[in-house]
Amino acid sequence: MSTLLEVSGVSVTFDGFRAINNLSIAIGEPELRAVIGPNGAGKTTFMDIVTGKTRPDEGRVLWGERSVDLLKYSESQIAKMGIGRKFQKPTVFEDQSVRDNLAMALKNRRGPFSVLMWKATAQDAARIIELAEEVGLSERLDDSAGILSHGQKQWLEIGMLLAQDPRLLLVDEPAAGMTPAEREHTTDLLKRAAQSRAVMVIEHDMEFIRRLDCRVTVLHEGAVLAEGSLDHVTRNQQVIDVYLGR
Amino acid sequence: MSLDIPRSTAAPAAKPRSFLHENPSVLWFMGLLGVFTVAVTVLSEGFGLGLISTNLVKILGMTLCLCLIAIAMDVVWGYCGILSLGHFAFFGLGGYAIGMWLMYARTEIVIRDSLGRGTIPPTELEVSEAVAAQIFGVVGSSELPLIWTFAGSLPFQLAMVVLVPGLLALVFGWLAFRSRVTGVYLSILTQAMTLALSLYLFQNDTGLRGNNGLSGLQNIPGFQHVPQSIISMWFFWASAFALGAGYLLFAWVVSGKFGSVIRAIRDNEARVRFLGYNVEGYKLFVFTITAVISGIAGALYYPQAGIINPAEIAPIASIYLAVWVAIGGRGRLYGAVIGAAFVSLLSSWLTGGGAPNVDLGLFRIVWTDWWLVLLGLGFVAVTLFFPKGIGGLFDYLVRKKP
Repeated sequence: MSTLLEVSGVSVTFDGFRAINNLSIAIGEPELRAVIGPNGAGKTTFMDIVTGKTRPDEGRVLWGERSVDLLKYSESQIAKMGIGRKFQKPTVFEDQSVRDNLAMALKNRRGPFSVLMWKATAQDAARIIELAEEVGLSERLDDSAGILSHGQKQWLEIGMLLAQDPRLLLVDEPAAGMTPAEREHTTDLLKRAAQSRAVMVIEHDMEFIRRLDCRVTVLHEGAVLAEGSLDHVTRNQQVIDVYLGR
Repeated sequence: MSLDIPRSTAAPAAKPRSFLHENPSVLWFMGLLGVFTVAVTVLSEGFGLGLISTNLVKILGMTLCLCLIAIAMDVVWGYCGILSLGHFAFFGLGGYAIGMWLMYARTEIVIRDSLGRGTIPPTELEVSEAVAAQIFGVVGSSELPLIWTFAGSLPFQLAMVVLVPGLLALVFGWLAFRSRVTGVYLSILTQAMTLALSLYLFQNDTGLRGNNGLSGLQNIPGFQHVPQSIISMWFFWASAFALGAGYLLFAWVVSGKFGSVIRAIRDNEARVRFLGYNVEGYKLFVFTITAVISGIAGALYYPQAGIINPAEIAPIASIYLAVWVAIGGRGRLYGAVIGAAFVSLLSSWLTGGGAPNVDLGLFRIVWTDWWLVLLGLGFVAVTLFFPKGIGGLFDYLVRKKP
């Protein structure tokens, strides 16, 4: 397992509020990592920084074997390097079919001219069907994404994430609004994805994290409070204070 | 050994279907446009029974050009979500580019005729000076401005029809999109662009005859002896062809994955960025290609109108364009055509004195005054009650089919 993403000494301030405070965190490839923390701990801001949406005031974000400085790149360039992101609120393109949503995410050339000339190859079509099967949407390929249930939208977004074939998946609350059976399926999906990639999951639900059975990072006030197995961090007095005390 | 199922048979649902099969509205549109063109030809003065006056042929031809810029507007606004309120600037620039050649070449022929009657043939310098004096006398100048250097060359001015709107859109779009200006701020910026251009052209020293604009554009150099009834049909056919070709082009652009991406940009551009698409590049592409088509539409429109002046590209023109598309139905190309044709024809009927005034006893509705009120109310009503516009009515027709 080699380090894929290394965030070191990152700080960001919004109107005097320190959302991220000297945060250092690293993830290897392949690895499954859960990130937990109370509201306002900086989980989403952390993802914003890694994906290029927010520029930190200081610190470094290094990517891959050649330690590319991600802070120099735009959102789309970072996505093309292999960082995929799933949002807390499922954001699929509701006006378009499940197939079109997946086709858009499929790893292909992204320039306007190549996309204009793009023709679905048999390989692309098969990959879309394969992905739809994986996320349980085979029957819904031609339906518009807007009529899917909340859980199905979550899965479609996970499917789109997999279609991008990223090296690092940042997944924000994938199990929100899902039934227990759906959660189990989601856990399996993420675990399978993490066999060959780095997967970072932000989640509140402890049961869900227990099932992921992976290393856990606890964020608090924009910095890492504790890191280790779930049992290890839940025994940590500081973590207990943050979550239960005060 | 197990039996391997070939991948191609495992995915029968994904068999690619032809572009026209996927977009039946394109065939319908082409058919109707063809029937309309033939009907007008048969009824025209120049080539048929003479039931349609030359003036009406010109109005219909101009309407086709307005339909062409309307589908461009629909692609940029209805599909890509950029509410440009400046596309008429590109239309006007296309008109000016072709107008310069029309005016220069025609004046040159006249000048050569009159100078040629002398015993000594005129030098090129004399001709050019006389042309300049003739064209710019009206603004108190007799020098040919630099931008008219190649005005005598038709290929050059035709290239300008495409290049000037295209380059302006490219530079403006690059600056605006790169700074991530979106929504209403972008609309205001495009309004400012067309206003600035219009004010600039109003000045005499811009070199495009200030508020006089370019006139006599209906006279085609080299075809002075061809009656307008014939020339109007040529332009009508050219406009119909351009509209058909433009429709086909845009239908193809918005049908495939490209259309998928630009509609996604319209609905949530931040999300599209995280999928790895360079949103700014797509917007710039769409903005520029629609500007070029708008320029072509303008170059076909103004020879039929006969005159172009800076008032044509005042901000209000581009706002009308948005109103047409909204009334016709955004996000469907035929909706834009319906909106542009319906509203502009209704407008010329009501404001041209064609419609009878309504006497309500106490009050008289004079349509030339009340047309704008009617248009405003219509726009508000469509926005509030029929957000899909007139084109949305076709959804009911299609849904009835099994």
